[in-house]
Amino acid sequence: MELKSAWDSGRLPDLIGLLLRLILGVVLLVAGGAKITSPASSALAVRAYKILPYDFAGYVGYALPVVEILIGLLLVAGLFTRVAAIVGGLLMLAFIVGISWAWAHGYSIDCGCFGGGGTIAASQTQYPLEVLRDVGLVVCAVWLVVRPRTAYSLDHRLFG
Amino acid sequence: MRPDASKKIATVTPKSGPNPVIIGAVIALVVVLAVVVAIVIGNSSKSGSSVAQTVPAGVVGGTGGGILVNATSKPNAPTLDVYADYQCPICGKFEKQFGPSIVALAKAGQIKYVAHMMTFLDINLKNDSSARATNAAACAADAGKFIEYHSAIFAAQPVQEGAGYTDAQLTEFATTAGITGPALTTWQKCTTSGQHNQYVADVETASGKAGVTGTPTVFLNGKDITKTLTTPESLAAAVKAATS
Repeated sequence: MELKSAWDSGRLPDLIGLLLRLILGVVLLVAGGAKITSPASSALAVRAYKILPYDFAGYVGYALPVVEILIGLLLVAGLFTRVAAIVGGLLMLAFIVGISWAWAHGYSIDCGCFGGGGTIAASQTQYPLEVLRDVGLVVCAVWLVVRPRTAYSLDHRLFG
Repeated sequence: MRPDASKKIATVTPKSGPNPVIIGAVIALVVVLAVVVAIVIGNSSKSGSSVAQTVPAGVVGGTGGGILVNATSKPNAPTLDVYADYQCPICGKFEKQFGPSIVALAKAGQIKYVAHMMTFLDINLKNDSSARATNAAACAADAGKFIEYHSAIFAAQPVQEGAGYTDAQLTEFATTAGITGPALTTWQKCTTSGQHNQYVADVETASGKAGVTGTPTVFLNGKDITKTLTTPESLAAAVKAATS
Protein backbone atom coordinates (compact mmCIF):
# COMPACT_ATOMS: atom_id res chain seq x y z
CA MET A 1 0.00 0.00 0.00
CA GLU A 2 1.21 3.43 -0.92
CA LEU A 3 0.28 5.03 2.40
CA LYS A 4 2.00 2.28 4.32
CA SER A 5 5.19 2.62 2.37
CA ALA A 6 5.08 6.40 2.80
CA TRP A 7 4.77 5.78 6.53
CA ASP A 8 7.49 3.15 6.61
CA SER A 9 9.90 5.25 4.62
CA GLY A 10 9.41 8.06 7.15
CA ARG A 11 8.16 10.46 4.50
CA LEU A 12 4.61 10.62 5.88
CA PRO A 13 5.69 11.16 9.51
CA ASP A 14 8.09 13.84 8.27
CA LEU A 15 5.21 15.63 6.57
CA ILE A 16 2.93 15.26 9.60
CA GLY A 17 5.76 16.66 11.69
CA LEU A 18 6.07 19.58 9.29
CA LEU A 19 2.35 20.33 9.62
CA LEU A 20 2.41 20.15 13.44
CA ARG A 21 5.59 22.24 13.58
CA LEU A 22 3.97 24.93 11.44
CA ILE A 23 0.73 24.87 13.46
CA LEU A 24 2.52 25.30 16.79
CA GLY A 25 5.02 27.78 15.33
CA VAL A 26 2.48 29.99 13.58
CA VAL A 27 0.15 30.05 16.59
CA LEU A 28 3.06 31.13 18.81
CA LEU A 29 4.14 33.77 16.29
CA VAL A 30 0.63 35.19 16.00
CA ALA A 31 0.12 35.13 19.77
CA GLY A 32 3.46 36.79 20.47
CA GLY A 33 3.02 39.30 17.67
CA ALA A 34 -0.40 40.35 18.94
CA LYS A 35 1.01 41.00 22.41
CA ILE A 36 4.42 42.53 21.76
CA THR A 37 3.04 45.86 20.53
CA SER A 38 1.30 46.41 23.86
CA PRO A 39 3.48 45.08 26.68
CA ALA A 40 1.48 46.91 29.36
CA SER A 41 -1.64 45.06 28.20
CA SER A 42 0.25 41.80 28.34
CA ALA A 43 1.32 42.55 31.92
CA LEU A 44 -2.30 43.26 32.87
CA ALA A 45 -3.44 40.03 31.25
CA VAL A 46 -0.95 38.01 33.32
CA ARG A 47 -1.93 39.86 36.50
CA ALA A 48 -5.61 39.11 35.89
CA TYR A 49 -4.89 35.41 36.59
CA LYS A 50 -3.91 36.35 40.16
CA ILE A 51 -1.33 33.58 40.33
CA LEU A 52 2.00 35.39 40.35
CA PRO A 53 3.02 38.26 42.64
CA TYR A 54 2.23 41.69 41.16
CA ASP A 55 5.70 42.76 40.02
CA PHE A 56 6.78 39.33 38.81
CA ALA A 57 3.55 38.97 36.83
CA GLY A 58 4.44 42.22 35.10
CA TYR A 59 7.86 40.93 34.03
CA VAL A 60 6.31 37.69 32.80
CA GLY A 61 3.87 39.76 30.78
CA TYR A 62 6.70 41.72 29.18
CA ALA A 63 8.86 38.68 28.46
CA LEU A 64 6.17 36.29 27.25
CA PRO A 65 5.64 37.78 23.76
CA VAL A 66 9.39 37.75 23.14
CA VAL A 67 9.69 34.10 24.07
CA GLU A 68 6.64 33.19 22.00
CA ILE A 69 7.98 34.92 18.91
CA LEU A 70 11.46 33.40 19.25
CA ILE A 71 10.11 29.89 19.74
CA GLY A 72 7.61 30.47 16.94
CA LEU A 73 10.40 31.49 14.57
CA LEU A 74 12.52 28.47 15.49
CA LEU A 75 9.58 26.12 14.90
CA VAL A 76 8.58 27.65 11.58
CA ALA A 77 12.17 27.42 10.41
CA GLY A 78 12.59 23.96 11.88
CA LEU A 79 15.67 24.96 13.80
CA PHE A 80 16.43 23.21 17.10
CA THR A 81 13.01 21.64 16.69
CA ARG A 82 13.16 19.42 19.77
CA VAL A 83 14.30 22.16 22.15
CA ALA A 84 11.82 24.64 20.69
CA ALA A 85 9.02 22.08 20.99
CA ILE A 86 9.95 21.40 24.63
CA VAL A 87 9.77 25.11 25.45
CA GLY A 88 6.61 25.60 23.37
CA GLY A 89 4.94 22.60 25.00
CA LEU A 90 5.87 23.80 28.49
CA LEU A 91 4.41 27.21 27.64
CA MET A 92 1.15 25.58 26.58
CA LEU A 93 1.07 23.48 29.77
CA ALA A 94 1.59 26.65 31.80
CA PHE A 95 -1.27 28.32 29.91
CA ILE A 96 -3.55 25.35 30.57
CA VAL A 97 -2.73 25.52 34.28
CA GLY A 98 -3.36 29.29 34.29
CA ILE A 99 -6.67 29.11 32.46
CA SER A 100 -7.87 26.22 34.62
CA TRP A 101 -6.87 28.19 37.71
CA ALA A 102 -8.93 31.19 36.61
CA TRP A 103 -11.80 28.89 35.68
CA ALA A 104 -11.70 27.05 39.01
CA HIS A 105 -11.58 30.31 40.98
CA GLY A 106 -14.58 31.68 39.11
CA TYR A 107 -12.69 34.65 37.67
CA SER A 108 -14.25 36.13 34.55
CA ILE A 109 -11.21 36.83 32.43
CA ASP A 110 -10.14 36.67 28.83
CA CYS A 111 -7.11 34.40 28.56
CA GLY A 112 -5.19 37.19 26.82
CA CYS A 113 -3.70 34.54 24.58
CA PHE A 114 -3.79 36.76 21.52
CA GLY A 115 -3.54 40.17 23.14
CA GLY A 116 -6.26 41.78 25.20
CA GLY A 117 -7.00 39.90 28.40
CA GLY A 118 -8.25 41.01 31.76
CA THR A 119 -11.71 40.94 33.26
CA ILE A 120 -14.68 40.38 30.98
CA ALA A 121 -18.35 39.57 31.55
CA ALA A 122 -18.89 36.08 32.95
CA SER A 123 -20.99 35.19 29.89
CA GLN A 124 -18.08 35.95 27.58
CA THR A 125 -15.57 33.54 29.12
CA GLN A 126 -14.41 30.70 26.88
CA TYR A 127 -12.45 28.50 29.23
CA PRO A 128 -13.31 25.10 27.66
CA LEU A 129 -12.38 26.28 24.17
CA GLU A 130 -9.16 27.91 25.36
CA VAL A 131 -8.08 24.80 27.27
CA LEU A 132 -8.98 22.53 24.36
CA ARG A 133 -6.96 24.62 21.94
CA ASP A 134 -3.92 24.54 24.19
CA VAL A 135 -4.26 20.78 24.70
CA GLY A 136 -4.19 20.40 20.92
CA LEU A 137 -1.02 22.46 20.79
CA VAL A 138 0.55 20.34 23.54
CA VAL A 139 -0.12 17.30 21.34
CA CYS A 140 1.74 19.02 18.49
CA ALA A 141 4.65 19.75 20.84
CA VAL A 142 4.78 16.19 22.19
CA TRP A 143 4.97 14.74 18.67
CA LEU A 144 7.85 17.08 17.85
CA VAL A 145 9.70 16.28 21.07
CA VAL A 146 9.37 12.54 20.44
CA ARG A 147 10.09 12.81 16.73
CA PRO A 148 11.75 16.14 15.92
CA ARG A 149 12.61 15.03 12.37
CA THR A 150 10.33 16.94 9.99
CA ALA A 151 10.26 17.72 6.30
CA TYR A 152 11.85 20.94 5.04
CA SER A 153 13.59 21.80 8.29
CA LEU A 154 16.72 23.84 8.83
CA ASP A 155 17.79 21.16 11.29
CA HIS A 156 17.97 18.72 8.40
CA ARG A 157 19.90 21.11 6.19
CA LEU A 158 22.38 22.21 8.82
CA PHE A 159 22.94 19.08 10.83
CA GLY A 160 21.92 16.33 8.40
CA MET B 1 9.82 -13.01 2.57
CA ARG B 2 11.21 -10.30 4.80
CA PRO B 3 12.26 -7.08 3.15
CA ASP B 4 15.73 -5.87 3.72
CA ALA B 5 15.60 -3.80 6.88
CA SER B 6 18.89 -2.01 6.48
CA LYS B 7 17.28 0.92 4.72
CA LYS B 8 14.72 1.35 7.46
CA ILE B 9 17.36 1.11 10.13
CA ALA B 10 19.34 3.80 8.39
CA THR B 11 16.37 6.17 8.42
CA VAL B 12 15.41 5.62 12.04
CA THR B 13 18.91 5.66 13.43
CA PRO B 14 19.33 9.16 14.83
CA LYS B 15 21.84 11.15 12.91
CA SER B 16 24.10 13.30 14.93
CA GLY B 17 21.79 16.11 16.07
CA PRO B 18 22.78 19.66 16.80
CA ASN B 19 25.65 20.17 19.15
CA PRO B 20 24.53 20.40 22.82
CA VAL B 21 26.64 23.52 23.15
CA ILE B 22 24.59 25.19 20.41
CA ILE B 23 21.35 24.09 22.06
CA GLY B 24 22.52 25.52 25.36
CA ALA B 25 23.52 28.74 23.67
CA VAL B 26 20.11 29.10 22.01
CA ILE B 27 18.28 28.59 25.30
CA ALA B 28 20.59 31.02 27.06
CA LEU B 29 20.06 33.59 24.30
CA VAL B 30 16.27 33.30 24.52
CA VAL B 31 16.32 33.69 28.30
CA VAL B 32 18.74 36.64 28.27
CA LEU B 33 16.79 38.41 25.53
CA ALA B 34 13.50 37.92 27.35
CA VAL B 35 14.93 39.24 30.63
CA VAL B 36 16.49 42.27 28.95
CA VAL B 37 13.27 43.15 27.14
CA ALA B 38 11.26 42.74 30.34
CA ILE B 39 13.56 45.02 32.32
CA VAL B 40 13.77 47.66 29.57
CA ILE B 41 10.01 47.83 29.18
CA GLY B 42 9.46 47.68 32.92
CA ASN B 43 11.68 50.70 33.47
CA SER B 44 10.48 52.71 30.51
CA SER B 45 6.95 52.72 31.93
CA LYS B 46 8.18 54.64 34.96
CA SER B 47 8.33 57.97 33.19
CA GLY B 48 9.36 61.04 35.10
CA SER B 49 7.27 64.18 35.46
CA SER B 50 8.40 67.76 35.44
CA VAL B 51 5.65 69.09 37.71
CA ALA B 52 5.95 68.86 41.47
CA GLN B 53 3.74 65.90 42.34
CA THR B 54 1.42 65.99 45.32
CA VAL B 55 -0.99 63.57 46.93
CA PRO B 56 -4.55 64.95 46.74
CA ALA B 57 -6.64 65.88 49.76
CA GLY B 58 -8.58 63.10 51.42
CA VAL B 59 -6.31 60.20 50.48
CA VAL B 60 -6.27 57.44 53.07
CA GLY B 61 -4.18 54.29 53.37
CA GLY B 62 -0.83 55.38 51.93
CA THR B 63 0.19 57.33 48.85
CA GLY B 64 -1.64 54.95 46.51
CA GLY B 65 -4.75 54.81 48.66
CA GLY B 66 -8.26 55.83 47.71
CA ILE B 67 -9.93 59.16 48.40
CA LEU B 68 -12.10 59.24 51.51
CA VAL B 69 -15.31 60.88 50.32
CA ASN B 70 -16.86 61.65 53.70
CA ALA B 71 -14.48 63.03 56.28
CA THR B 72 -16.86 62.31 59.13
CA SER B 73 -18.74 59.14 59.88
CA LYS B 74 -20.14 57.22 62.82
CA PRO B 75 -17.40 55.46 64.80
CA ASN B 76 -18.79 52.00 64.04
CA ALA B 77 -19.34 52.67 60.32
CA PRO B 78 -17.81 50.01 58.02
CA THR B 79 -15.41 51.00 55.23
CA LEU B 80 -16.70 50.72 51.68
CA ASP B 81 -13.87 50.63 49.16
CA VAL B 82 -15.05 51.09 45.58
CA TYR B 83 -12.58 50.43 42.74
CA ALA B 84 -13.66 51.84 39.40
CA ASP B 85 -12.35 53.26 36.14
CA TYR B 86 -13.91 56.33 34.55
CA GLN B 87 -13.91 54.64 31.15
CA CYS B 88 -15.41 51.35 32.27
CA PRO B 89 -19.00 50.98 31.03
CA ILE B 90 -19.99 48.57 33.81
CA CYS B 91 -18.67 51.13 36.31
CA GLY B 92 -20.94 53.70 34.64
CA LYS B 93 -23.90 51.37 35.11
CA PHE B 94 -22.83 50.62 38.68
CA GLU B 95 -22.58 54.35 39.41
CA LYS B 96 -26.07 54.94 38.02
CA GLN B 97 -27.56 52.09 40.03
CA PHE B 98 -25.65 52.38 43.31
CA GLY B 99 -23.99 55.82 43.27
CA PRO B 100 -26.83 57.79 44.88
CA SER B 101 -27.32 55.19 47.65
CA ILE B 102 -23.60 55.05 48.39
CA VAL B 103 -23.39 58.85 48.59
CA ALA B 104 -26.46 58.94 50.82
CA LEU B 105 -24.94 56.32 53.15
CA ALA B 106 -21.70 58.29 53.21
CA LYS B 107 -23.43 61.59 53.93
CA ALA B 108 -25.36 59.96 56.76
CA GLY B 109 -22.04 58.73 58.15
CA GLN B 110 -23.12 55.09 57.93
CA ILE B 111 -20.08 54.12 55.84
CA LYS B 112 -16.57 55.37 55.27
CA TYR B 113 -16.69 55.69 51.49
CA VAL B 114 -13.27 55.35 49.85
CA ALA B 115 -13.05 55.71 46.07
CA HIS B 116 -10.09 54.10 44.29
CA MET B 117 -9.98 55.26 40.69
CA MET B 118 -8.05 52.91 38.44
CA THR B 119 -6.68 53.61 34.99
CA PHE B 120 -5.87 50.31 33.31
CA LEU B 121 -8.52 50.87 30.64
CA ASP B 122 -6.19 53.47 29.17
CA ILE B 123 -3.94 50.56 28.25
CA ASN B 124 -6.72 48.46 26.75
CA LEU B 125 -8.36 51.39 24.97
CA LYS B 126 -5.05 52.95 23.93
CA ASN B 127 -5.88 56.45 25.16
CA ASP B 128 -5.22 58.47 28.32
CA SER B 129 -8.73 59.50 29.32
CA SER B 130 -8.92 57.45 32.52
CA ALA B 131 -5.66 58.94 33.79
CA ARG B 132 -6.60 62.51 32.81
CA ALA B 133 -10.06 62.20 34.34
CA THR B 134 -8.64 60.64 37.51
CA ASN B 135 -6.05 63.40 37.84
CA ALA B 136 -8.79 66.00 37.31
CA ALA B 137 -10.98 64.31 39.94
CA ALA B 138 -8.03 64.31 42.36
CA CYS B 139 -7.62 68.04 41.70
CA ALA B 140 -11.33 68.42 42.49
CA ALA B 141 -10.67 66.59 45.77
CA ASP B 142 -8.22 69.38 46.65
CA ALA B 143 -11.15 71.77 46.15
CA GLY B 144 -13.35 69.60 48.38
CA LYS B 145 -15.53 68.60 45.44
CA PHE B 146 -14.36 65.09 44.66
CA ILE B 147 -17.68 63.28 44.73
CA GLU B 148 -19.46 66.03 42.79
CA TYR B 149 -16.79 65.88 40.11
CA HIS B 150 -16.77 62.08 40.17
CA SER B 151 -20.53 61.97 39.54
CA ALA B 152 -20.23 64.55 36.75
CA ILE B 153 -17.69 62.37 34.91
CA PHE B 154 -19.79 59.23 35.12
CA ALA B 155 -22.94 61.14 34.11
CA ALA B 156 -21.14 62.15 30.91
CA GLN B 157 -19.56 58.77 30.19
CA PRO B 158 -19.52 58.26 26.41
CA VAL B 159 -21.90 55.64 25.06
CA GLN B 160 -19.12 54.15 23.02
CA GLU B 161 -16.33 52.71 25.17
CA GLY B 162 -13.01 54.26 24.21
CA ALA B 163 -14.34 57.65 23.06
CA GLY B 164 -12.87 59.11 26.24
CA TYR B 165 -13.11 62.64 27.64
CA THR B 166 -11.84 65.87 26.09
CA ASP B 167 -10.05 68.56 28.10
CA ALA B 168 -13.03 70.85 27.47
CA GLN B 169 -15.31 68.20 29.00
CA LEU B 170 -13.09 67.91 32.05
CA THR B 171 -13.41 71.67 32.57
CA GLU B 172 -17.19 71.48 32.12
CA PHE B 173 -17.33 68.84 34.85
CA ALA B 174 -15.57 71.27 37.21
CA THR B 175 -18.30 73.82 36.63
CA THR B 176 -20.96 71.14 37.07
CA ALA B 177 -19.28 70.12 40.33
CA GLY B 178 -19.54 73.69 41.58
CA ILE B 179 -15.86 74.62 41.51
CA THR B 180 -15.75 78.39 40.93
CA GLY B 181 -13.58 81.49 41.27
CA PRO B 182 -10.01 81.06 42.55
CA ALA B 183 -10.70 77.39 43.28
CA LEU B 184 -11.41 76.87 39.59
CA THR B 185 -8.13 78.54 38.64
CA THR B 186 -6.27 76.29 41.05
CA TRP B 187 -8.15 73.25 39.77
CA GLN B 188 -7.36 74.12 36.15
CA LYS B 189 -3.66 74.53 36.90
CA CYS B 190 -3.58 71.25 38.80
CA THR B 191 -5.41 69.46 36.00
CA THR B 192 -3.39 70.88 33.11
CA SER B 193 -0.05 70.25 34.78
CA GLY B 194 -0.96 66.72 35.84
CA GLN B 195 -0.11 67.51 39.44
CA HIS B 196 -1.49 64.18 40.68
CA ASN B 197 -0.20 61.96 37.85
CA GLN B 198 2.09 60.10 40.23
CA TYR B 199 -0.79 59.55 42.63
CA VAL B 200 -2.88 58.24 39.74
CA ALA B 201 -0.17 55.73 38.84
CA ASP B 202 0.28 54.79 42.51
CA VAL B 203 -3.42 54.00 42.91
CA GLU B 204 -3.32 51.70 39.90
CA THR B 205 -0.32 49.83 41.34
CA ALA B 206 -1.71 49.69 44.89
CA SER B 207 -5.08 48.45 43.64
CA GLY B 208 -3.42 45.76 41.54
CA LYS B 209 -1.38 44.69 44.55
CA ALA B 210 -4.59 44.55 46.58
CA GLY B 211 -5.78 41.93 44.09
CA VAL B 212 -8.15 44.15 42.15
CA THR B 213 -7.82 43.31 38.46
CA GLY B 214 -11.27 44.30 37.26
CA THR B 215 -13.76 47.06 37.87
CA PRO B 216 -16.06 47.76 39.50
CA THR B 217 -14.90 45.94 42.61
CA VAL B 218 -16.44 46.69 45.99
CA PHE B 219 -14.95 45.79 49.36
CA LEU B 220 -16.93 46.15 52.55
CA ASN B 221 -14.59 46.10 55.55
CA GLY B 222 -12.02 44.38 53.33
CA LYS B 223 -14.39 41.69 52.02
CA ASP B 224 -15.18 41.53 48.30
CA ILE B 225 -18.96 41.91 48.05
CA THR B 226 -19.11 42.82 44.33
CA LYS B 227 -21.00 39.73 43.26
CA THR B 228 -23.57 39.99 46.05
CA LEU B 229 -24.66 43.49 45.03
CA THR B 230 -27.85 43.18 43.04
CA THR B 231 -29.89 46.16 44.24
CA PRO B 232 -29.26 49.25 46.38
CA GLU B 233 -31.26 47.42 49.06
CA SER B 234 -28.75 44.55 49.05
CA LEU B 235 -26.00 47.10 49.61
CA ALA B 236 -27.88 48.72 52.48
CA ALA B 237 -28.44 45.29 54.04
CA ALA B 238 -24.76 44.38 53.70
CA VAL B 239 -23.75 47.69 55.28
CA LYS B 240 -26.16 47.16 58.14
CA ALA B 241 -24.81 43.67 58.74
CA ALA B 242 -21.24 44.97 58.74
CA THR B 243 -22.00 47.76 61.20
CA SER B 244 -20.64 46.62 64.52
